[in-house]
Amino acid sequence: MIKKYLSQSDAIYYFSVFFILLAGILAIAHFSGNVRLQALIVVLVSFIYVAWGILHHLLHHDICFKIVVEYILIGAFGMAIILFLLKSI
Amino acid sequence: MKGILNHLFIPQRSNNHRAKILHNQSLLVLVTVLFLGSFLINIVHLRAPQVLGDSIDISTRELLLLTNKDRLENGVSPLRISQKLQTAAIAKAKDMFAKDYWAHNSPNGTTPWDFIKAAGYDYTYAGENLARGFTSSKDVVNAWMASPEHRANMLSKNYQDVGFAVESGTMQGEQTILVVEMFGSRQLGGFASQTNNQLPQPVTSQTEIFSDPFFNVSLLTEGMILLILGVFIVTLFLDLIIIRRGKIMRFVGHNIDHMLFFGVLILAVIIISHAVIL
Repeated sequence: MIKKYLSQSDAIYYFSVFFILLAGILAIAHFSGNVRLQALIVVLVSFIYVAWGILHHLLHHDICFKIVVEYILIGAFGMAIILFLLKSI
Repeated sequence: MKGILNHLFIPQRSNNHRAKILHNQSLLVLVTVLFLGSFLINIVHLRAPQVLGDSIDISTRELLLLTNKDRLENGVSPLRISQKLQTAAIAKAKDMFAKDYWAHNSPNGTTPWDFIKAAGYDYTYAGENLARGFTSSKDVVNAWMASPEHRANMLSKNYQDVGFAVESGTMQGEQTILVVEMFGSRQLGGFASQTNNQLPQPVTSQTEIFSDPFFNVSLLTEGMILLILGVFIVTLFLDLIIIRRGKIMRFVGHNIDHMLFFGVLILAVIIISHAVIL
């Protein structure tokens, strides 16, 4: 089932993304109570996520402007979500 | 209606085999709405807190009653409000907001005991519990009782007096409600010899923060954000399955890593919104 949906290089990429995001969420939990630092971690993780995604597509030679914009927008979406949350708590 | 929903959430010919809400234009609109919405909420929150604010009901009276209820249930004598500990707790809360720290000791090394001594309370035993971001006295006391160290303070036989501060302010960039609870006793052995099962009445000095806006902005925002992220995860999953089954070639980002990213955002929102004790 998994092999049907994932190539080996994709699996390595997904695991690396998983560990980057896991490190991010552990850091957010660790700094519980320090909202400013938590927000900064979300921004940092979003930047790494965007860069890592673009790099992956670049290495796979399937990069295009549309994909770059998609990753940037997804990262911006993450930051916008946290800003929206912080302005209302 | 069904056609519109399919167009928005299911990859098909009409949306070029990519759910419409996953298109870059849709994401751009959403990001813009979120950025503008956050500033709009901030303005309404500040100018009309009775419409859009937080439902808050925390008072020293209720904190004392709930603390003593737990003490009595655990066979420990109730605490009395001490004006001096009350003064110390208020000074500590104001210091935390002024110096912008969330810790028992201030950045320049001032300890809770310094505040207690400065208020003129000559203690034998003393303790401190802190809470921030809670909206009711009951939640504060329940959170303290659920944590072993805070529970030990709440139920300690060494204490006979208590003082509370409930202060509102900005800490680490976040508008929050801070609750400081300071315990103390002036004589060795504390108050343990008394077995009075009557709850003492709090003295007249009370601090209370009460707010009951039309919309509870924190709950509303958190719920809305979690719903949006949930909808995106489900849409990305459906998109992944349908496109793989249909063997359709597209040049788009990976759905799995977007789903992981949104999953982490859900956890981040839950953790950041959660109230904390210290």
